[in-house]
Amino acid sequence: MNCQLCQKELEAYREGELPEGIMIQVKAHLGDCQDCAEMNQLFILSEKVIQEEKNLQSNPFLVTRIMAGIEEMAQGYESYQPVSIFQKVLKSALITVSLAAAILFGVVAGNLYKPLTTVNKIPAEMAYLNDAALESVDLLTN
Amino acid sequence: MTDREIIFQIIQGDRNLFRTLVERYQPLVFRTCMGFLHNKEDSDDLTQEVFIQAYQTLSGFKGDAAFSTWIYRIAVNASLNKTRKSSKKLLVQRFEIVFGNSKKEEYSFSIPDNESPENILILKEHKEWVRNALESLPENQRTAIVLSKYDDLSQKQIAEIMNTSEGAVEALIQRAKANLREKLSATQKKKKK
Repeated sequence: MNCQLCQKELEAYREGELPEGIMIQVKAHLGDCQDCAEMNQLFILSEKVIQEEKNLQSNPFLVTRIMAGIEEMAQGYESYQPVSIFQKVLKSALITVSLAAAILFGVVAGNLYKPLTTVNKIPAEMAYLNDAALESVDLLTN
Repeated sequence: MTDREIIFQIIQGDRNLFRTLVERYQPLVFRTCMGFLHNKEDSDDLTQEVFIQAYQTLSGFKGDAAFSTWIYRIAVNASLNKTRKSSKKLLVQRFEIVFGNSKKEEYSFSIPDNESPENILILKEHKEWVRNALESLPENQRTAIVLSKYDDLSQKQIAEIMNTSEGAVEALIQRAKANLREKLSATQKKKKK
């Protein structure tokens, strides 16, 4: 028996499902071939790992946890109240109107605002001075 | 009370009866999740998600197949989704490890107390191999092998869950076993080097 055939039959060999003649051949090959024997050991270990995972028990409170989750979800559904179309339209209209009012208020407030001027006012007596009537300084010097 | 009677009552509004279904099928769902995730806490969480999903879609259960088949389908799909997400997460974690931003996540193992320290080490190492070998299988092969090895289901039952023929399941299991042999043999060779 060659290695390839032996490795193919290993699972059936371990489970004792092979015909007697082939069982003897596989057993003999495993005794002679170290690689196949190691491979067989690896498979035995793999099955041990799977068996161990299979035997694990879930959390003892898992059923309670699941039922609590379902209860919570169901209560959530019950407390949910569908919103009518009228409410939906009214809500969006209200938001639009509020936004428009806010913008309008901003514009009006902006227009009412008068910035402080730093320009000094000319006194009234200076404003009425007739510059043209003043004598030229040049004339006085000449 | 049969599953169908219970389901009918639940749909009518008696949601406490769902507890009976959970108690009846929780070990089966947990085992399936364990076969895909190999982690007790994750499997517990996923089992909870599976039952909540089952409750939400219970009205969609037509009764064409057994309730067990239906819940198996939900469990398999949820597990595959979870492993897809975890593999993406793992990729990010590996990327972070390369750039030194994160520590490698330790997988949780459950080792019996009576094992010798040497055996514990071998078993831990082997768990990692088995996990990696199973995860590297294509999804349909992985599903077939998990349902066969972890849940001890017949090819007929697996075919029903996977919505395929018995012949196809047999072929999937054979291919999965050949792939696992190949992976384990490669691991063995690597170990020798």
